[in-house]
Amino acid sequence: MASTRPPGDDGLSAPHILEYAYKRSLGKVLSRFFTGLRDKRIEGVRTRSGRVLVPPSEYDPETGESTLDDFVEVGPGGVVKSWAWVGAPRKSHPLAHPFAFALIELEGADTALMHVVDSGDESAMKTGMRVVPRWSDETVGRIQDIAAFIPEASA
Amino acid sequence: MAEHAAVIGVGQTDFDAKREDVSQVGLIREAAERALADAELDWADIDAVVVGKAPDMFEGVMMPELFLAEALGGVGKPMLRVHTAGSVGGSTAIVAASLVQSGVHERVLTVAYEKQSESNAMWALSIKMPFTPIMVAGAGGFFAPLIRGYMERSGAPEDTGIRVALKDRLNALKNPLAHLKLPDVNFEMIQNSPMLWDPVRYLETCPSSDGACALVIGNEKHARAASAPPAWIHATNMKTEPTMFAGRDQVMPKAGLECAAGLYKKAGIQDPRKEIDCAEIYVPFSWFEPMWMENLHFAPINEGWKMTYEGATALDGDLPVNMSGGVLSTNAIGASGMVRFAEAAMQVRGQAGEHQIDGAKKALGHAYGGGSQYFSMWIVADQPLQ
Repeated sequence: MASTRPPGDDGLSAPHILEYAYKRSLGKVLSRFFTGLRDKRIEGVRTRSGRVLVPPSEYDPETGESTLDDFVEVGPGGVVKSWAWVGAPRKSHPLAHPFAFALIELEGADTALMHVVDSGDESAMKTGMRVVPRWSDETVGRIQDIAAFIPEASA
Repeated sequence: MAEHAAVIGVGQTDFDAKREDVSQVGLIREAAERALADAELDWADIDAVVVGKAPDMFEGVMMPELFLAEALGGVGKPMLRVHTAGSVGGSTAIVAASLVQSGVHERVLTVAYEKQSESNAMWALSIKMPFTPIMVAGAGGFFAPLIRGYMERSGAPEDTGIRVALKDRLNALKNPLAHLKLPDVNFEMIQNSPMLWDPVRYLETCPSSDGACALVIGNEKHARAASAPPAWIHATNMKTEPTMFAGRDQVMPKAGLECAAGLYKKAGIQDPRKEIDCAEIYVPFSWFEPMWMENLHFAPINEGWKMTYEGATALDGDLPVNMSGGVLSTNAIGASGMVRFAEAAMQVRGQAGEHQIDGAKKALGHAYGGGSQYFSMWIVADQPLQ
């Protein structure tokens, strides 16, 4: 339908900025995982069926059953299961130079952890390649405590 | 002919202002696992999951039913989300019941929750929109004028609200799960508490709570096989009206009046005050008890306050209301409606502990939401509807 406004009248507008503060409580399972990262230790949790979930979860995603109070140190190295190259990183990407987002199955884990691989070049990326973590200089208990994974060959 | 459905498992979390000991997932699973344990069932026994909560903006997780699917054992199962503002806990239970009554599923898990400490629900309800008056008054600012309207119409004594608050706060002391407990509470303490939204005082107002409630609803076969007594669902009803329209009676909404009348008709109830043994109703501000007594046809219009005043709604009255301490004592918004429905079920199952009404056979669960516009209700009983 055509506008009924006279020519030159664009109607009124006003800014509407909605900002809202949120907070998250991690609960005991993820709190333990992130506390482990601070100490440069990666932990998974065991399900009733014996699988090790990394990152750990309060429940087995397949069944809904609670996971066991059985934490398992995994890695620190692992295998890239899948990856996507980011050739032109933008401001909010984790690295300022080209890198890969990757699903990494750490040694001793039955699930893959989503993180980044700093391989230098896309040609260095390969599904099945082995990677190890490069820890941040300062670890505080967050996922960025692992600055990136790097090819084991170059470690 | 609809199938019989019954509540065969009830689970509530511990409620507190800040449940920082658990994640959102952990909070919800606390209620769900308690309901499953009460029903003596495992995750694998559940056919479908129905989740409810108030606006997503309260925790900032959009479409949380997707985020929660695996945490609620929903893989490979139908999962539904319900949203009807503050009444959502009630309507979520009704949707779950309908999946059983229709014969589609045998055992349904339903969960409703709010984790208010992860944001500030009060101000999420008062967004400053351009070109509109800025109320910035929260829910209390919206409801206070409706309460004033009721006081003027009914001529109710000024202290009616204080009496409601005192009753519910004393009841909360008998409920181990209630959030706000004031062991020394008395009339003067409430009367002297700060006036928040005239005529609503601080202690006539609900707290902000973190918590969740879950129910397992089963068909007749599973209800009869359960080792704990089931709460048979006799009738459910929902009605909604717009927040504003010309001629709307916001003090005594038509949707509520009609919702209750339709509910009683379905349940074969002629005289609700006589036939219903106790009720858990949504009273976030004290004065809503007398207002809803009228809206629910327990008292003639403008006479609901007499029930409070005469002690009819007290634990030893002829129609005890909010035996658990009600929303005035515990308000995890999305969960609050389901807690009312659950507490009604607990009464007819004889599970309510210190706040049990002896011999309760038929109970009402009630919830409302938005600007007194969404209503959901059910009647549960110790025997199936004949």
